[in-house]
Amino acid sequence: MNYILTDEDMKILFSRIKEEYDTYGTVEKEGDIVYEKVDGFESITFGRSRYAPKEFLIERNENVLNLPVQQKKAVFGVMSCDLKGFYVMDKQILGKDPFYTQRRQNTLFVNFPCNVECEGGFCSSFGGPLLDEFQIQVARDGDDFIVSASKEYEHLFDGFRKTGDEQIRKLRKNFLKNAKQLPVEGIENRIKWDSKLWKKYSSVCISCGACNYSCPTCYCFDLFDQDDGRIREWDSCILSGFTSTSAGNVRKELDERLRQRFYHKFVYYRKSQGEYLCTGCNRCTEDCPVDIDIKEVVTHDYSSE
Amino acid sequence: MGDITVCPYCGTGCQMILEIGESSQRVVGYSRSPVNSGKLCIKGYSGLTYNFSSERLKYPLMKENGEFRQISWEQALEISVSKLGDISRKYGPDSIAFQSSAKCTNEENYLMQKLARMVGTNNIDHCARSCHSPTAIGLINTIGAGAATGSIASLEDTETFFVIGTNTTEQHPIIGAKIIKEVKKGKNLVVADPRRIQLAGLASVFLQFRPGSDVALLNSIMNVIVENGWEDADFINSRTEGFSSLKKTVSKYSPKVMEGITGIEPEKVYRAAEMIGNAKPTAILYAMGITQHIHGTENVMNVSNLALLTGNVGKRGSGIFPLRGQNNVQGSSDMGALSEFYPGYVRYDSGKLNNFSRIWGKEAPTQKGLSLSEMFEAAAEGKVKAIYIMGENPLITEASTQTVERGIDNLEFLLVQDIFMTMTAGHADIVLPAASSLEKEGTFTNTERRIQLIKRIYSPPGEARPDWWIIKEIGRRLVGMDDYSSPEDIFSEIGRAIYNYSGATYSNIYPIGKQWPINTDNPDGTEILHSKSFPIGRGKFIPVEYGPPAEQTDDEYDFIMTTGRNYFHFHSGTMSRRTDILERESPEPYAEINTNDSRRLNIKERQIITVESRHGSIKIRAKVTSKIPEGIVFIPFHFSEARVNELVGENYDPISKIPEFKVVAVKVIP
Repeated sequence: MNYILTDEDMKILFSRIKEEYDTYGTVEKEGDIVYEKVDGFESITFGRSRYAPKEFLIERNENVLNLPVQQKKAVFGVMSCDLKGFYVMDKQILGKDPFYTQRRQNTLFVNFPCNVECEGGFCSSFGGPLLDEFQIQVARDGDDFIVSASKEYEHLFDGFRKTGDEQIRKLRKNFLKNAKQLPVEGIENRIKWDSKLWKKYSSVCISCGACNYSCPTCYCFDLFDQDDGRIREWDSCILSGFTSTSAGNVRKELDERLRQRFYHKFVYYRKSQGEYLCTGCNRCTEDCPVDIDIKEVVTHDYSSE
Repeated sequence: MGDITVCPYCGTGCQMILEIGESSQRVVGYSRSPVNSGKLCIKGYSGLTYNFSSERLKYPLMKENGEFRQISWEQALEISVSKLGDISRKYGPDSIAFQSSAKCTNEENYLMQKLARMVGTNNIDHCARSCHSPTAIGLINTIGAGAATGSIASLEDTETFFVIGTNTTEQHPIIGAKIIKEVKKGKNLVVADPRRIQLAGLASVFLQFRPGSDVALLNSIMNVIVENGWEDADFINSRTEGFSSLKKTVSKYSPKVMEGITGIEPEKVYRAAEMIGNAKPTAILYAMGITQHIHGTENVMNVSNLALLTGNVGKRGSGIFPLRGQNNVQGSSDMGALSEFYPGYVRYDSGKLNNFSRIWGKEAPTQKGLSLSEMFEAAAEGKVKAIYIMGENPLITEASTQTVERGIDNLEFLLVQDIFMTMTAGHADIVLPAASSLEKEGTFTNTERRIQLIKRIYSPPGEARPDWWIIKEIGRRLVGMDDYSSPEDIFSEIGRAIYNYSGATYSNIYPIGKQWPINTDNPDGTEILHSKSFPIGRGKFIPVEYGPPAEQTDDEYDFIMTTGRNYFHFHSGTMSRRTDILERESPEPYAEINTNDSRRLNIKERQIITVESRHGSIKIRAKVTSKIPEGIVFIPFHFSEARVNELVGENYDPISKIPEFKVVAVKVIP
């Protein structure tokens, strides 16, 4: 159901949510937007967060021998591209990874769809920021907040003004009209195993791992024993020790590992889960120190190679 | 909750947002940073877990009958102070040596050198001796300031990058990445390195020259520039002196004659010279490949000669960039934690120590102090009786570790403060647990002179305390040092001791830092040095003649070994080897050897070989690669399992006392 809320209504909604959840939100810190604990709707900054809120569900490192009881958390100000990452990831790990699953079930993400496509971003290629799957989605149309709630959160909206789908449809149309959509569809068939892109990338890649760490859909981790614990830690498939076997990494060269990353995103996941493992957020490109642009993998003319 | 702080690894000084909460921990680059614009390398992202290692030192320890036992801070401080006091009274202040650390803050380095000098000795030194002491001395001689002349951001205006003796993408990855981005736009890149480093693959000209032939190579480049009239005559006339003697010297170094020494075809030297001289502005970046030689200071002065010759100082995009290894090696040197320099590079024999005597309330000592390696030699000879080491691990990082060990074992008292029980700390009488740089406040000065504030993100484990507090407690009890209340308190004294820091305050340098000099003349700091004049007036050409490295190959020792770091580890590995991802990527020592050499000697990948020099021998796995030329082996120095510094002889640059880590004659036994 959709509702039209005023600024005052949003404060009320926030306080209703706060009764059930620990509340977090996007706030500005010296020009970068980060997630912090917040106490009121007025503390939340609208804008592009510096990073995807992946740590709310997958910690950078934690002991997997102990599954702690999860606090209920609500996170305000999530970008749609980042949120979509969780829905894509769900297909692979929800119900399988108990840490992820418990946190997913106890976390309420309130996403704020953008009205204009950001520079470099290409979420329009994946349907744009007004998502079909969400918990509570807060779109803005002028001074109004057009808030959509999935069924289990409707009880929070008692007394607010209901509305139809019209404004959402209008916002979606406006967004897509001004956005540049990339020809993502079918990339799994166009992409080429021996493309020269991979060596071009490996000649400049400095193996920093930023593309994985920034990605709202990357979920791979490393496991190692430490003292009494077994720790899992965010990993990067660009590194040679990733998924190492007794014979080392089966992808010995950096260009092979870079290719694997793009093939996982655009070929394997599509074939196994029916979706691309990418939401068009552009964070990998933004955080890449040497400007490797994931959009080039999509738009490159493989047929001429 | 979190904050903006500075990465604890290399001298780039990347700013990062670190957050810790009950169930969230984040690392991300600070996007507004002029240093790294939000980018980080693998050490920034995945290299910080050492902070939470269960092996962290948590309590003061005292050795009794060969075993450490926990004691209280009060006991540890009292025992340390009474030992140091007794030794100073019995043998004189010069019987004590102090080793500071480029891993610690400006405030801590300032206090450490102040403590040494209040005790009455100039025996204060630290690892800058082993990395950039030739830079401090060389550049002060030629242009009056031992620091990068430009900023990292200013490299956007560079047309030609001349990268010599720095594996930038591995050692200063974010600066390396900056070069790559510019080169992708079509800028020129000249790379000079004995190893085929990543940047070599992107270079317009790659000069794979023989280790130790830097002077010959640089002189031959300058020879071509002068022969073709590509020098910057206006700059030379208006800003420099001594050109005629440089001209005379380089005239002897035609690329054709030098080919026998450098191994570089004249045509390549010509092309490199043409770019450096003509496609300006040119930025020259260098690191240990230039400094860690017996000719280290001469190499630095020759880099300076090239920059002056082509007028590449004082303008955006041009400049000399000594890339600093440790996060605070610029700052620790600025603070005067060097035996010949007081804070702000005032020489011990300059007669200009009054300001320090006044601030410290004690006469500043004027006798010559011992350099890092001299301290261990003096200890072995029984002249130095006690050493106080903060955050350094010389048993792995120093040349000729055998001498270090002899020296340390001959001491009456060894005091070490560190975050881990390092190999060196294991030899100590008292070990003091310190807070890491993510657990305290203070300032670091990065490779481009940017003074940056660091913030306390985590709590130190157990009873670990910040280094500044420890030094202050020892200093207060030993020599009546001030009872500083905070790092900020110390920083304001630094502003009185060093004019170039005098305008910086904790509030005006946060969050993005400011580049020194920052003072009444330059209230906002200074991005580009020497834009109108040099601190010494005119820039000096100091011509340098080629001399061979200390060690030569012969029939028996037929390989040249060169040492260095790799991408995943840092120095003695105290931090990086305790982080899972980094250790997984590089878990053991190795020796890089050329494919043809390995075939000739019948050495297989990962086979254990013996590498033996005239000084020592280690067993190590072979890593066969075409990145290194024939006749050369490369061994990183991070690993205590195979300490490559046992192979490095006691050959020192006579000017800066830096050991020659980069050229060691060895034999390889399958």
